[in-house]
Amino acid sequence: MRKLVSLFMALVMLATVIAIPAMADSAQDPITVSVFIGDPRDQPASDNKIFKKIEEEFGLKFEFEFLAGDLDETLGVKIAGQDYADLMDGGNSAEKLISAGALIDLMPYISEEKTPNIYNYIQPYLKRLLNDKGQLFIIPNYGRYYNTEEYGMNYVNGPAFFLQKKVLAWAGYPVIKTMDEYFDIIEKYVAANPTNDKGQANEGFAILCDSWRAFCLFNPVQHLMGRPNDGDVIVDIDNNYKTEAYVIQDYAKPYYKKLNELYHKGLISQDTFVMNYDQYIAKLSSGTVVGMFDQTWDFQTATDALTAAEMFDSTYQGLPIVYTEAEAGKPITEHYLNGTVINVNRGFGISVNCQYPERLVQFMEKMLSDDWQKIVWWGIEGEDYSVENGRMVRTYDQIQDAANAVWKNANSAYVLTNSMPKKQGKMDDGNSWDPAVQPENYYLQMNDYDKDFLAHYNMKRPLDFFNKPITLAPYGEAWQIDVTVDQAANDAKAAFQDTERKMLPQVIMCDASEFDATWQKFVDSVNAIPISDFVDFMQQQILDLVAKNS
Amino acid sequence: MTDTSLRVRHKNHKKLPIFPLVNGTVMILIVFITLYPVLNTVAISFNDGTDAVRGGIGLWPRQFSLKSYETIFSDEIIFNAFFITIARTVIQTVINVVLTSMLAYALSRREYVLRKFITTAFVLTMYINAGLIPNYLLIQRTLGLSKSFWVYIIPTMLSCFNMIVTRTFILGLPDALVESARIDGAGDFHLFWKIIFPLCTPVLATVALFVAVGAWNSWFDTHLYNASKVNLHTLQYLLKMKLATTTNSANAAMTSADAAASTTNTTPVTIRAAITVVSAAPIVAIYPFLQRYFVVGLNVGSVKG
Amino acid sequence: MRSANAETTAAVKKDLRIRPVSFGKRLWMQRQLMLMSVPMLLYIFLFNYFPLWGWITAFMNYNPAKPLFENEWVGMKNFVWLFSKPEFIGAIRNTFAMAAINLVFGFVFPILMALFLNEIRTMHFKRTVQTITYLPHFLSWVIVVGIAQTIFSSDGAVNKLLLSLGLVKAPVFFLGEGKYFWWLVGVINLWKECGWNTIIYLASMSAIDPALYEAADMDGAGRFKKMLHITLPGIKSTFLVLLVMNIGYLMEAGFEIQYLMGQNVVMDWSQTIDIFALKYGITKGQYSRAIAAGIFKSVVSIVLMLSANFTAKRLGEDTLL
Repeated sequence: MRKLVSLFMALVMLATVIAIPAMADSAQDPITVSVFIGDPRDQPASDNKIFKKIEEEFGLKFEFEFLAGDLDETLGVKIAGQDYADLMDGGNSAEKLISAGALIDLMPYISEEKTPNIYNYIQPYLKRLLNDKGQLFIIPNYGRYYNTEEYGMNYVNGPAFFLQKKVLAWAGYPVIKTMDEYFDIIEKYVAANPTNDKGQANEGFAILCDSWRAFCLFNPVQHLMGRPNDGDVIVDIDNNYKTEAYVIQDYAKPYYKKLNELYHKGLISQDTFVMNYDQYIAKLSSGTVVGMFDQTWDFQTATDALTAAEMFDSTYQGLPIVYTEAEAGKPITEHYLNGTVINVNRGFGISVNCQYPERLVQFMEKMLSDDWQKIVWWGIEGEDYSVENGRMVRTYDQIQDAANAVWKNANSAYVLTNSMPKKQGKMDDGNSWDPAVQPENYYLQMNDYDKDFLAHYNMKRPLDFFNKPITLAPYGEAWQIDVTVDQAANDAKAAFQDTERKMLPQVIMCDASEFDATWQKFVDSVNAIPISDFVDFMQQQILDLVAKNS
Repeated sequence: MTDTSLRVRHKNHKKLPIFPLVNGTVMILIVFITLYPVLNTVAISFNDGTDAVRGGIGLWPRQFSLKSYETIFSDEIIFNAFFITIARTVIQTVINVVLTSMLAYALSRREYVLRKFITTAFVLTMYINAGLIPNYLLIQRTLGLSKSFWVYIIPTMLSCFNMIVTRTFILGLPDALVESARIDGAGDFHLFWKIIFPLCTPVLATVALFVAVGAWNSWFDTHLYNASKVNLHTLQYLLKMKLATTTNSANAAMTSADAAASTTNTTPVTIRAAITVVSAAPIVAIYPFLQRYFVVGLNVGSVKG
Repeated sequence: MRSANAETTAAVKKDLRIRPVSFGKRLWMQRQLMLMSVPMLLYIFLFNYFPLWGWITAFMNYNPAKPLFENEWVGMKNFVWLFSKPEFIGAIRNTFAMAAINLVFGFVFPILMALFLNEIRTMHFKRTVQTITYLPHFLSWVIVVGIAQTIFSSDGAVNKLLLSLGLVKAPVFFLGEGKYFWWLVGVINLWKECGWNTIIYLASMSAIDPALYEAADMDGAGRFKKMLHITLPGIKSTFLVLLVMNIGYLMEAGFEIQYLMGQNVVMDWSQTIDIFALKYGITKGQYSRAIAAGIFKSVVSIVLMLSANFTAKRLGEDTLL
């Protein structure tokens, strides 16, 4: 029996080991390329005009596999079965594919002569992108800005403390910079306006705690300290990159103390800790939530709903709040915006099963030419945009179309190009690559209320509330560091996340008299994990990255 | 059964119908509790997406819109997916009903020497699970079933649960039925097909319902094995993808800044509701059809006599 | 066969009337039965037992990218790790508790429902009730949990009702306090699946010999007497088999409902074994731990099921095995 079992296993294993190492590359005959994308997407329409154009020019057809289930689980079975598509976009877990040996090194196919566009694309970030052996497995899909130092947006897409515009208007358009000022205005506003104009009760401050979106609960601390989003840790760049879990530090305590006060003043409701994402969006959309910490994209649907209902004054303005400005000790400067940086984690890799890597790299190379990039970002001239006095513009309808999922399926190849290298920033003629960033287009969509609101602050863009983007430290963004490679760090991180999500609400809701004890209990629980497993790992990774990149 | 109910009704006619009244009222209350969320889902599915995220919709749409349904049916492949789903549901149900009842019959024969061994082997499968990866390797590598329609059929031909339920039902039938036929020299295939199978109508209608609903709702096999084959996509897989896409595009405006222009009138809230309606309506409709088999069933008395 | 059923024993004897008979001969006599069952035995061997080779990965530090036997053997380390985590022990407790609540609710209410549905004489009404009550089964958990979270929130329907009846002074924090969580899951499960679970009992009731009811009517038996002495005994074997089977499922409390409804504050009550395995296993690339948790679940399930089966047999009932 034992023998039989091992024979079976051997057979299974044999089947698993066999891979197809062929690398032959033929002429430009029509081929079908299989593509895996680690994100859910709708299949493009069969008569999609851009894919037609691609097929005519490159002889390439695409067979897509999008992700309907869990990414890690799916990659796990693909790795076990060595069942890879030609082009693989592993989403946020691409690291798994690389460490499993699923992808080929692309550097042999990339050089200044053979692939000038791609070479130019990665050249400024080579140190960051190549591993110790000088290999490159993934060509990043975004974050490479041309002809600009500017942050490529008009509004803040990332984190901020948000406040309803009507609250700032009510207070006479003050400039709000510190935590105390921020909560103070909320308190005064709610005291003066217990309900909104529909008679619904106003809620001072909402904290979204639904599963992974619970970052709204703990991320504020690092921003209050004048640091950018580094995930779970704060990195002291002035002190030899000393890394620590910020949420248990003494400097985190005042924030939660403040929230505890607000809770007992009735400005935070207990339901905030148990509401699901839909309920949160519903609350925001009803215009009753005065303020919250979040990231713009996380509540975009609520903004859309408020705009559609013409409740413009209840939409939100992001504010770069810090603890305190320039007091005793070290002054804190807000650092909400990061300078442009290439995204190292995502993009296409070519799998070991692919029979024509050279051709696919050449395909990406040609797609990165200016002509094709215009098609990728803007579409076809005359159909999807027009040029007036050298400026590329879209009509209101064209802008609406471009955001419509059904339209996109038939008229855009975004399902493919999203994962391919793209140019961002400005074209040589000064137009923006990304239509949404083209100022003409942005102002076309802005409503009068917003224009007027910004005029009171003497500003043109919501982004102007923030400091200029600050160039990233050599370690990049710490939240991008892959923790799964170290089991102990990984476990500690999982336990840490559970503990903070579970206990911080208790810290906020406990009796004011028990605050210190509850806080201490929380800190002790985190230390008992032990959190050092995670922090030490992060410290080492950050130091390694600094050594590599500076 | 019908006879009995007539008789009972007749008999109770003289008394005050307190019990039927109370019973009926309780049932209506239960119906109301179960129906409300269902109708609420339908109402949301016909509401404008952007408006619906504000919540608070009751039994009627606040801003009527067909946008969610348009979005769902805008995919040309959805009609093919309907066809694939119906095909797999019908084939899987037929195979399951035949194999389940046949096996259940064999395992209901107390004299069958392998009965205990086979029953145990089947029952244990309900509690063991090898995990995703070995199963995937078996189907994808060893059997090479991926990227084919057969991956929907071959691994799903039998369910132990259904077999046990059917076996229990058969055991409840009078032994005399089989015994008398056996004395006449009938073989087991004959016994099964001519006597037991027709008598099993109520339980097999149940089994058919369970299998059909399971087949109709499954999406994971498509996701694992046929995701790259558009013409083999099933309805539930497509709808699952549609929902994930809507949710995802609402979340991740990270790569492009075009989120500012994203008033597309479909939101996860309405898409989710419309998907529920589109995916459930056809399969829900088969239950009333199957119901008559629960009552018609058998009249064992006559066979016995 | 420890069966108290005299009739059955007689039947078996009758069937084996040609005695003595060798095992081989009996096999030959039963060739048709074998043809009906042995191919399916091979089928489940292939699809259910063969993949069990995967269980050995529980004793490894398994990485699917490596050939199986090149993975590092770690002995019982993964099991030791699981049981050293208080969260895992908590997850076992939560799974058991919720599964037990589901088990009780999932038997009592569907059977009651089936009994009383069976008493409805207006066929259209009966079928309408049946069809409507089974509808929630087709709603996804996301929708059901979303509705439940609205109903049970501080300003939701349940709290409004309790407040207006004067049963509570302040809204009950149903979703934020762990002590309510298990019962909420029980109630929501009941709401979603009660109608669906009724089907099986209605099917088995339709197999009851109508002659029995007729005879009872002649004896002047009332409605409840007939329920108690005819209908209930009529579905007893189905009930027992399902009970034994479901006792084996006491390690399964579902996944999605807890995953969706278990907000972080009630994590200590909501986390089930499956959620734990997902969190510390699959999403972290620690497949071995997930498999180890799976093996633990299987072993406990089988032990539970066998004991239930044994007990039922000792009570002289025909049961699962």
